[in-house]
Amino acid sequence: MRKTFLIIAFFSAIIFNVPGQGLGGPGTIKDDGRFAASTKQLNQFFRRFNGEESVDGTVRFYPEDSLYRNIPLRKGFLNILFDNQTSSVSPDLKNQFIQTTLSEVYPHYLNFHREGWYAEVETDFIFKGKREKVTLIMKIQAEGLGYEWVIDKVIFEPFKTLFNKPVGDQKDFLHPLSHELGFMNLRRAFQDSNQPESFTANSYKPDYLAIFLYEMKQNNLRFETVTGLKFHFFQIQGWYFEVNQFNRPGFNTGWLIANLVRLAPGDKETILKYIYDQE
Amino acid sequence: MNNKFILFLGLFLSASVAVMAQDNISPARKQAIDSLALEKVKDLSKYVSIIGSKETQFSEANRVMDRAEELFAPGAEMGVSSINTQEIAYYKVRRYFERLMALNYDRVNITWYDIQYISDLERQPDGRYVGVITVYQRFEGTSIETGMNYKDTTKKDITIYVEKKQTQIAGRTIEFWDVMLGDVRVTETSA
Repeated sequence: MRKTFLIIAFFSAIIFNVPGQGLGGPGTIKDDGRFAASTKQLNQFFRRFNGEESVDGTVRFYPEDSLYRNIPLRKGFLNILFDNQTSSVSPDLKNQFIQTTLSEVYPHYLNFHREGWYAEVETDFIFKGKREKVTLIMKIQAEGLGYEWVIDKVIFEPFKTLFNKPVGDQKDFLHPLSHELGFMNLRRAFQDSNQPESFTANSYKPDYLAIFLYEMKQNNLRFETVTGLKFHFFQIQGWYFEVNQFNRPGFNTGWLIANLVRLAPGDKETILKYIYDQE
Repeated sequence: MNNKFILFLGLFLSASVAVMAQDNISPARKQAIDSLALEKVKDLSKYVSIIGSKETQFSEANRVMDRAEELFAPGAEMGVSSINTQEIAYYKVRRYFERLMALNYDRVNITWYDIQYISDLERQPDGRYVGVITVYQRFEGTSIETGMNYKDTTKKDITIYVEKKQTQIAGRTIEFWDVMLGDVRVTETSA
């Protein structure tokens, strides 16, 4: 009950602060508070998460400001940074996460420039004349005088089925005395077999991004459009969360936490493996 | 001619933010840059309203399109998506304005919400800074013949490029921050 009151009070503060914003010209439409409440940019998600801006988003707080990373301010923001309409995140898990994040001894913050967060970009490409879905996993890296987004991995179904290395006695091989024949039996690997991956080392993993770039350079892949975007965060120690954009009526909109997982040892690697989806 | 140039330069600089030689952007400087960027976005919103209005003469709309285009860095694009499709349709800025002008309504009313959000400025590898300003636009189009009335509200995420430039005035080198608009993402909202 008290929490509901706090959330309502927080939204009310947002709504009553609205008139200070705006393009200001005559005939502008007054926002009823929905756009003010919406987490409009991922940048705002970071600022709200860290408590680095005013409730209405018009003032950016810096370390010298008294409200910079203020705990009650952050608490108000964290409550509205969750998808509170469709998400399956339990209130208990959410509270545990908020408590960990707001710990007075060791508070946690998000850092735009630090590793541990990724963008998952859904795109459409034309591959050899056919429209195909491509997922790009992207990350921020330092470069030159600033930063840039770069492609870390690519997920592309036609490539995943391209390499299907057989196992056990199904697998072709070059016998262990092939060297004595000057590897004349390579013909078996390169001409007779349609699964040349059979002759690779156990440690071999295809680099789909390299193939993707090669196919693009060969003009076999042509970018069409972006169809979706979400973000994965591992920056809060012991936690993983996913941020999606919610474009819907109401006050709980914009970039919000859609999925939250408390990480046990080894879970991070499992989730990363799932996100990267390279096998 | 020379006087005209100096007058133009003076006006240009008054719309820019003079700075000392430094690379980091202080909070005060950021605020000044935000104001300058917001002025450009206001100009853009004004131009969009004029271009979209059916009361605007063709020649005047073309003149305003030229002015609007000058706000943008070369090659800037508009990426448009609707509620029904997440797919982004890409238009060059000029093409977007031309499409807006050619919309088949008898009455068009474009207004803006009294809200915007300005991101932090992040530095790019080339040393320029980049930010995003978010604004919301209300569009209403009426067709008298069919009696159709179309309304939508779009969120516009506008890229701003911030660059430190130099100019010589009376033998002195003056540095200032200049703002150009870049790609714009247009998303239809459920509002």
